[in-house]
Amino acid sequence: MISSRSVIALFKDVDSAADALDAVRAGGFESDEYEILTGTPYPEGAFGEDEPKHGLYRYPLVGAACGFIMGLIITAGTQLAYPLVTGGKPILSVPPMSVIMYEGTMLGSIIFTVIGVIIESRLPRVFMGAYDTRVTEGYIGITVTTSEEKISKAEEILKKTKPEDLKRGWEQKDFD
Amino acid sequence: MQEYSYASDKEINKSLLKDVLGMPKWWLAAFGSLLLVWLTGMGAYGWELNQGMGVTGVNRPVYWGFYITNFVFWIGISHAGIMVSAILRLTQAEWRRPVTRAAEVLTLFSLIAALTNIAFHVGRPWRLYWIGPYDFSRGIWPNIRSPFVWDPSAVGTYLIGSTLFVFIALIPDLAAARDRATGFPRKIYAVLSLGFRGTPRQWKLQAVAGILLSALVLPVFVSVHSIVSWDFAVSIGVEGWHSTIFAPYFIIGAIHSGVSAVAMLMALMVWLWKWDKYITPDHFDSIGRLLIIVATTWFFFFALEWIFALYTMESAEIALREWQIFKNPMGPLFLVFMITSYFIPVPAWLFKKVRRSPMGMFITTILVNVGMWLERFLIIVPSLQRRSPLEFDWGSYAPSIVEILLVTSTFAFVGMGVLLFAKVFPLVPIFDMKEGVRLRDEIQVGRRSVPATIRE
Amino acid sequence: MSDHHNNQPLGFYADNPEWTTPESINEELVARHEAKSKYFKPILLALGVGVILGVIGLILRLVDGVSDTSKWGYTAAVLAFLLTTASAAPMVAIAPRIAKGHWRRIISRPAEMWSAAGLISLLLFIPMLWVLPSLEDGRRSLWFYHPGEVFAYSPHLWMTLSLVGLVILGFALLWISALPDFALLRDRAEAGSKERKRYTWLARNWTGATGDWIWQKHRLGIVGALYFLMLITVHFLFSVDFLMTLVPAWIDALYPATHAVHALQAGAATMIITMFILRRFCGYKEIGHDQFWGLGKLMFALSLMWFWFWMSSFMVYWYGKRPNEQQVLELFVKGPYLPLFYANFILVFVVPLFTMIWNFLRRSIWGPTLISVSVLIGIFFDRIRVYVAAYSVSDQSAEFHGIKTIPPTVYPDVADVFIVIGAITAPILVYMLISRVVPIINIWEQKELLLYKLHKKYHRATVMVLGKPE
Repeated sequence: MISSRSVIALFKDVDSAADALDAVRAGGFESDEYEILTGTPYPEGAFGEDEPKHGLYRYPLVGAACGFIMGLIITAGTQLAYPLVTGGKPILSVPPMSVIMYEGTMLGSIIFTVIGVIIESRLPRVFMGAYDTRVTEGYIGITVTTSEEKISKAEEILKKTKPEDLKRGWEQKDFD
Repeated sequence: MQEYSYASDKEINKSLLKDVLGMPKWWLAAFGSLLLVWLTGMGAYGWELNQGMGVTGVNRPVYWGFYITNFVFWIGISHAGIMVSAILRLTQAEWRRPVTRAAEVLTLFSLIAALTNIAFHVGRPWRLYWIGPYDFSRGIWPNIRSPFVWDPSAVGTYLIGSTLFVFIALIPDLAAARDRATGFPRKIYAVLSLGFRGTPRQWKLQAVAGILLSALVLPVFVSVHSIVSWDFAVSIGVEGWHSTIFAPYFIIGAIHSGVSAVAMLMALMVWLWKWDKYITPDHFDSIGRLLIIVATTWFFFFALEWIFALYTMESAEIALREWQIFKNPMGPLFLVFMITSYFIPVPAWLFKKVRRSPMGMFITTILVNVGMWLERFLIIVPSLQRRSPLEFDWGSYAPSIVEILLVTSTFAFVGMGVLLFAKVFPLVPIFDMKEGVRLRDEIQVGRRSVPATIRE
Repeated sequence: MSDHHNNQPLGFYADNPEWTTPESINEELVARHEAKSKYFKPILLALGVGVILGVIGLILRLVDGVSDTSKWGYTAAVLAFLLTTASAAPMVAIAPRIAKGHWRRIISRPAEMWSAAGLISLLLFIPMLWVLPSLEDGRRSLWFYHPGEVFAYSPHLWMTLSLVGLVILGFALLWISALPDFALLRDRAEAGSKERKRYTWLARNWTGATGDWIWQKHRLGIVGALYFLMLITVHFLFSVDFLMTLVPAWIDALYPATHAVHALQAGAATMIITMFILRRFCGYKEIGHDQFWGLGKLMFALSLMWFWFWMSSFMVYWYGKRPNEQQVLELFVKGPYLPLFYANFILVFVVPLFTMIWNFLRRSIWGPTLISVSVLIGIFFDRIRVYVAAYSVSDQSAEFHGIKTIPPTVYPDVADVFIVIGAITAPILVYMLISRVVPIINIWEQKELLLYKLHKKYHRATVMVLGKPE
């Protein structure tokens, strides 16, 4: 995808953006070639787009397991390494260990969830690619990122849908 | 009703980013005066470090005074953010939208403020790292059977968790700020927003993350104050502390003072940043209703704690309670605590007029926090002041000027933190407000239109 | 079990596509209310046998006398179980109604009908009045500071008043909520018929005037809130004066709240099982994913709370290591009832935790149902563990701040088994009988939903719009 080209069309209302998306699809572009950009979440399927699939739920479970093991190592390990009985409590006392292991488990799952959110969102992104600052002002962007040969066709299709604006650029660069 | 429901994205950007990209006139003055208060406190801290703990009022047997009271108080306030933001997210309450971030930010800075109290309190703060599992030269490990080691693990988890929570929810707004900013700030926002563009995938994950992180941070939030309460409750040497109810009682007290602090902050947001379009009387009304339930639940736990203290029929316990209520100076403080934390605010909140007025909510919630600060003081100090059987020496406690200055400085610190955050990042979640506009609807029932929400 | 594969979207409140007009809702729900199943009578008979066994058990128990409290542990436990499950189930109607959650509408009546089970609690409570020793022998109670300062039967008096209050409030709630439905049945019954007379009497003079509806809203809110407060009071008084005071060293300020939280958890579980039965066997397919999902989440949250409350008490006792507190732990946790404690812990906390974290289970019909069964069995074990142990402590005087000797495990005898069977079948019998008079689905609340819910196209998606009236 190094030399892939991008085009972005901007629309003011949802319906014309949805129509443009239909046109792009009808033009034979695959779902990994086009994207919708909005400044705010819309109800799922408002543009007739496919439901995004993600595997975020795996991350907290892995994180929890890592955190739990860390907690176990810290609590059991330190007590065994320095076996001093205090307050009549046995070495390897489960209730105090459970407190720290619990915190470890939660910390692990939170950190992994955050990492998961970033990875699954396909972030961080070094170059903005097809983007326009008007997106955060309420415009809806329909982008097509494809090979050199097909980009003119995409531009053609989008032009026909009468966008507010249409820009062409490189995927691996900032647009403006 | 809610005017912002008809605002365009452009207007929302403009009004919510105005003071981030520009400089409000009052900001420097407000920040400067808080900074002055804080620096005064830091001066006092320098004095305490130089002279030792003798400059404070703590003495045998009252080793815990203003600092620990203030620590527990700020931990309590820190429960505001996650309570308001996570619970309201999970229950899909629409009125959460403008207040979630402010509440989360309050959490962050009050947690840091709480931690600074520990630094004030320990005689040698440069050895604080000893509570960490670190063993390169000392040959010993921290005693994990001590609640004082549970504390940093819980508070640390909470601080990291809520910081990440704020960051994730901030990404779309950083993108909005990036698109509006110019020059160097633009570069910073561009880096921080990680190249967020607003694809359906990114929005979906934003929504899932909001729910998932709420569900993960809530159990941490519950554990934090439970563990802080166990600092007291697991000991058996101090009358009045060894009670099983402490963990839930501290949590509900924290929610009471924390949600009150959020209501107070909402009033300040209306007055300082003029966001009355976004934070409307409806929002105050909703948080007022929530507070009635929270306060009354808190009162139930408070009553349980007292009933069971008297039910023990142990003379020492009874004597402590008499000392808390009937003797000077605790008696008058107890009276102030009772009327400010419950008997003025809750009857006031029963009136719609009070609930819907920023001033009414501001005054009543400040009262709650005065009361809740005193509650912590009344749990900690009178119990320690009582002479226990094997004690050779005992005296009373009065805070020194150093303690008063340092406690005041923590309030200035949290104020500064919120002001600074609001200067650099949008304090009202922009994308959430825009989504709220899109999801608002109305249903016509005969001649009347009923406010409605679109649900997916 | 095709439910697992049913991809009905959430958030549609289990629509019946034919329920588009008030008339169709009336027709369908009244017809279902009047339909008689051929299984109804046999089930009723079977339950009747259970109730008779219960009565026999109670008589056998009474023949033994009331002076030995250890013989009454199981009766107290099953009474507490009823207060924890059936009496708490109406909260599923009350709380979301106050919060204006529309999803409750289809299950609010089945929840309110459980309040009728209070009658059985009241009957079971009568012998307990004699079983519980008076305060004259120096037993500790919530109500006095020094022995002799209050009426020796204070615990009995206050508990009786609050339990009677709970039952009255429960019936009031059920009746008020059913008023408009009674009026509907009155108007549809033939003139001069038995039904006409019955529903005319039950509906009082309900006409559906604006004033009627305004009152209806306020009455439901106020009676619901009072029911909740009374439920908390009943749990507080019962768990203190009929449980904790029997164990001299058991000073656990949190326990009354724990007892009440168990009730909220078990109340939700009771409702989930009720919903499953209504959906699977009684043809109420409209009770769907929204309700199971909503209540399942709530029950999951309450399972986590169960652990938190338990840990709060346990940690303080375990860490403090005071001898009298160790005795309490020995009695309830580590000692004669350890297997029950393990079962309780696993069924109420571990099972929900490791099942409900999975989305596909949470969003199914059978997942929450199975977990509810686990929770109910767990809570039943909990009640037996705590009540049977407490009632077997022999020296209950306030003079000594500890348990002198840990009593051995008390196993149930035939009478206990009969009483448990009777106490569990009787509320179900009452519930079924009441369902012949009161429509089991709240008809007017379904019709009201028509006003506030609509489905529409939002550009390319179909969304639901929900109105929140003032």
